[in-house]
Amino acid sequence: MNTPDYLPILFLLVLSTLFAVGSMLAASKLSPRRWTSAKLQSYESGMVPEKDVAGDRFPVKFYLVAMLFIIFDIETAFLYPWAVAYDELGLFGLAEMGVFIAILLAAYAYVWKRGGLEWVE
Amino acid sequence: MDLSWLDAAIFAPLVGAVAVAIVPSRNLSTLRLVALASTIMTFLLSLGILVDFEAGTPGFQLTTSLSWIPEWGVGYKTGIDGVSLWMVLLTTFLMPLAVLASWSITRRAKAYFIFLLALQTGMTGVFSSLDMFLFYLFWEATLIPMYFLIGMWGYDRRIYAAMKFFLFTLVGSLLMLAGILFLYFAAGDNPTFEYQALLGTPLALDAQRLLFLAFFASFAVKVPLVPLHTWLPDAHTEAPTAGSVMLAAVLLKMGAYGLIRFAIPFFPDAARELVPLVMTLAIIGILYGALVALVQKDLKRLIAYSSVAHLGFIVLGMFVGTLQGMSGGILQMVNHGLSTGALFMLVGALYDRRHTRLIADYGGLARSVPIMAGVFLFVALSSLGLPALNGFVGEFLVLVGTFFGYRWWVIPAAFGIVLAAIYLLWAYQRVFHGEPATEANRAMADLNVRELVMLAPIVALIIFIGVYPKPFLDRIEPSAERLVQQLKQSSVVPGGGVAEGP
Amino acid sequence: MEMDIPRIELAGIAPEIALTVAALVILVVHAVLGNRFSTWYLPYLATLGLVVAGALAVIVWDVNDLQLSGMIALDNFATFVKVSLAVFGLLTVWLGRDYLTRDRLEESEFYALVLFAVAGMMLMAAAADLIVMFLALETFSIALYVLVAFKRRSTEAQESAMKYFLLGAFSSAFFLFGIALAYGAVGTTNLYSTGPEADSLFRFASAGPSTDLDLLVLAMGLIIVGLGFKIAAVPFHAWTPDAYQGAPSPVTGFMAAGSKIAGFAALIRVLDAILFPLRWDWRPLVIGIAVLTMIVGSVLAVVQEDVKRMLAYSSIAHAGFVLVGVVAANDRGVSGSLFYLATYGLTVVGSFAVVSILAGPGEHRTRLTDYRGAFYQRPLLAGALTLFLLALAGVPVTSGFVAKLVVFGAAIESGYWWLVVIGVLASAIAAFFYLRVLVVMYMQEPIEGVEPAPSGGWLANGVVAITAATTIVFGLAWGPLIDAAEHARFFVAGG
Repeated sequence: MNTPDYLPILFLLVLSTLFAVGSMLAASKLSPRRWTSAKLQSYESGMVPEKDVAGDRFPVKFYLVAMLFIIFDIETAFLYPWAVAYDELGLFGLAEMGVFIAILLAAYAYVWKRGGLEWVE
Repeated sequence: MDLSWLDAAIFAPLVGAVAVAIVPSRNLSTLRLVALASTIMTFLLSLGILVDFEAGTPGFQLTTSLSWIPEWGVGYKTGIDGVSLWMVLLTTFLMPLAVLASWSITRRAKAYFIFLLALQTGMTGVFSSLDMFLFYLFWEATLIPMYFLIGMWGYDRRIYAAMKFFLFTLVGSLLMLAGILFLYFAAGDNPTFEYQALLGTPLALDAQRLLFLAFFASFAVKVPLVPLHTWLPDAHTEAPTAGSVMLAAVLLKMGAYGLIRFAIPFFPDAARELVPLVMTLAIIGILYGALVALVQKDLKRLIAYSSVAHLGFIVLGMFVGTLQGMSGGILQMVNHGLSTGALFMLVGALYDRRHTRLIADYGGLARSVPIMAGVFLFVALSSLGLPALNGFVGEFLVLVGTFFGYRWWVIPAAFGIVLAAIYLLWAYQRVFHGEPATEANRAMADLNVRELVMLAPIVALIIFIGVYPKPFLDRIEPSAERLVQQLKQSSVVPGGGVAEGP
Repeated sequence: MEMDIPRIELAGIAPEIALTVAALVILVVHAVLGNRFSTWYLPYLATLGLVVAGALAVIVWDVNDLQLSGMIALDNFATFVKVSLAVFGLLTVWLGRDYLTRDRLEESEFYALVLFAVAGMMLMAAAADLIVMFLALETFSIALYVLVAFKRRSTEAQESAMKYFLLGAFSSAFFLFGIALAYGAVGTTNLYSTGPEADSLFRFASAGPSTDLDLLVLAMGLIIVGLGFKIAAVPFHAWTPDAYQGAPSPVTGFMAAGSKIAGFAALIRVLDAILFPLRWDWRPLVIGIAVLTMIVGSVLAVVQEDVKRMLAYSSIAHAGFVLVGVVAANDRGVSGSLFYLATYGLTVVGSFAVVSILAGPGEHRTRLTDYRGAFYQRPLLAGALTLFLLALAGVPVTSGFVAKLVVFGAAIESGYWWLVVIGVLASAIAAFFYLRVLVVMYMQEPIEGVEPAPSGGWLANGVVAITAATTIVFGLAWGPLIDAAEHARFFVAGG
């Protein structure tokens, strides 16, 4: 192991830690605090909150939907690099993507038929 | 395939066990008869061994050798010499009698007889194996049926006794297993478990010592030598009658047999070094067993401790390094099996009548059960070594052999014989003489036909060996001579240090 | 940009593909058809998948190759493990069928998860690259996390699955960190070299004293820790008793058999084949783990009052016995460990089959006292359990004895006789608990007024019969299996 090779990493580590801690400290010391009722409401991306979320439980369905979204969303992201490199990959790439999408479809069919996409029981 | 009478005698009981398994379990009398028939059949088969056996030769006879797991050098190899011959015959001879002694077993009789017959296969196999893998298989195979016999059909403290028996024996035999494996790899480039191929394996003295101790641990527990004997009084006392008979008559002999068949020939140099230690343990066993037997209140426990003393005698004879001692020890294995087996049967008969084993509950039985009293006295006399009975021949030979080998060691040994006379005769007196203590004792029934049939062969054999031991000694002595020679050989390799594996 | 398209060689992962396809078919078909029709066809589909996978694994016997750019090893070692896994999977599916119908649990997900888990485990055995090994580890671990929680209404199952998951994630982190350090040291995660210039862990470790091995030794330690969790070695065993107790019994048996053989397959390949030149560095660590595992597993098994927990500790102790064979690091050690894992797997699946039957609906009867007098109510089941326990105790005539014989023999051949002495003493301690179960089943009467032990369906009974038969057969006629294990050699470059 050659120590000088790792020096930049160490440097970056120290720098990033300093920056993170420093900016949080600065924010807490420098920023003015003026509480209004709007600021104390839970943040719902600009929508008016329907109810107070703090201390209340979300239905477990939210998590299911979130998880399904992430899974299918990430899987779809694989399509982009494939599309970019389509010319070089050729038939091999097409077949691979076919298999990939087939598995994805099977999972989709499974989730759909098992009622994973229905909100109301 | 070349199979001998010996192989037939090993596996016939398993066939009997299958036959018992087929009989419906509520059919008690059929179960008994099938078990009895199969043990008698096995005994008749074993007479074939006696006929085929050539007296006067030291080597192994009636050998069978079949390939089994060639990858690991495991074979099915059996054969007997003059030592194992009598051990096998003792087993097959006592087994029908043990079945007869089991008439009082009415609960779960089917499982009982299956375990008893499986036990017989294990015991016969131990004495006839000429392959260490096969030997270990049979050795452990005796453990499980005996565990169940004690644990399921024993008396009040049966579970404790069964556990103790199993664990003591298992620790010893697992150490032996490690030893067997070490020997297996020390034997050379072409590892084998075959007994005769392993004989004379050169080993460093350090390795010999460790290996001898590993084997010794297993056999000394089984014999048992003091201080490893504590499982024995519990197991003997809590076991059902047939279990006690087989334990005392055969299972203990497996330990002594293992010492002379494996521990000494494999590691003669280490054995020679440890002779004084083993002899001391044997003498302690003789005296300690006798003294503790003297103070027992429980008749069965008394006989159990007498076994500790007798086995001390046997081991003493085997380690003094003289022909007389070795032959006497081997003959005494048979004698002890007969007399102690008969004593346990008699105690069983007493228990069946009065459901107590305490000496204090008996007394004055000689009037109500004269035949039983006579047989008991006769067997006790055989056990304490009265001349003209079998015990005398064996003990005399052991004492003579000890005298030639280690003169002064005779004194404590002879003292042990005196003590044996005291505790056995005193027990006889307290149980059978005096005034009957209770009405139940006065009205007790004498031996019935079944019990007479069970005891008569033993009594006959006790007289026969006592008067005419020649046929026995003729077959024992060549093998005994060889065993004595093996103790004097050396297989040590020069240059110390535990042998390194490859 | 030039694309380096790998050659399409699927023989090495054909079994895994078959299993994945079968699992997907099971999931989709059942999801589409629903419960309107009966579900009789599901175990057939699972059986078909496993049989095909086993057959695809067998046909590459004696092929010595690397496939998919050196990611997958095709060797007899992997094949032996894959076939064992297919058998464990089959037994689990059959046992599961009875269990699931009895307890009214979902069937399709169970079979699919078992198939996914088997696929992951098979990949584990064939992995020729640390990254593939990690993927395989995660594939079967995630399937097992779900399977452990399969009784999702039971808080016990939830608790055990949560513990298993958290500690499993923890161990994955160790493993991954080990991979990262190995990459840092060697510059690749490949175990074997694919070409004359290509670097690999094996080449690096064999290069001799000139190379700087410190980082690789550290990586090796972390990889041992990560795999130590999967094989339930002490001190990484804390999840085992809870997970084994809370999981449905068929799953517990499957974990004990499959997870162990898969974890050990990876460990044996990494230590005894790839890092064999560094054996003097890893042996002290593995010996320490082995001694601790044998002793702690055996001693703690003795004080358990629940049969599933007892078998959990017993499985810990057995990991220690296999580690003795790993320490030996010779041919007999590798073949002995494989023999041990295969026969132990069959025996342990059988034990949990009996436990699963006797536990009754909802698995409420798993305490030792529930087994009182079991022999008099269910003589055959109790007899089979006796056989399994004796095999676990290492009593002759059973496969468990031969298994101990071969691993201990290997260790003695390597000169580790003192490790064997510790091993035999530990197994004597462990025997105590197995005897306690026998005492309860045979020597105590059933409690008055308590309903008798339940009986099993024909599939569960069949699984018990098969495993009991193999336990005896591999105890007496163990030649063919040890022969196969001895031929289960690792991939050799240019061989």
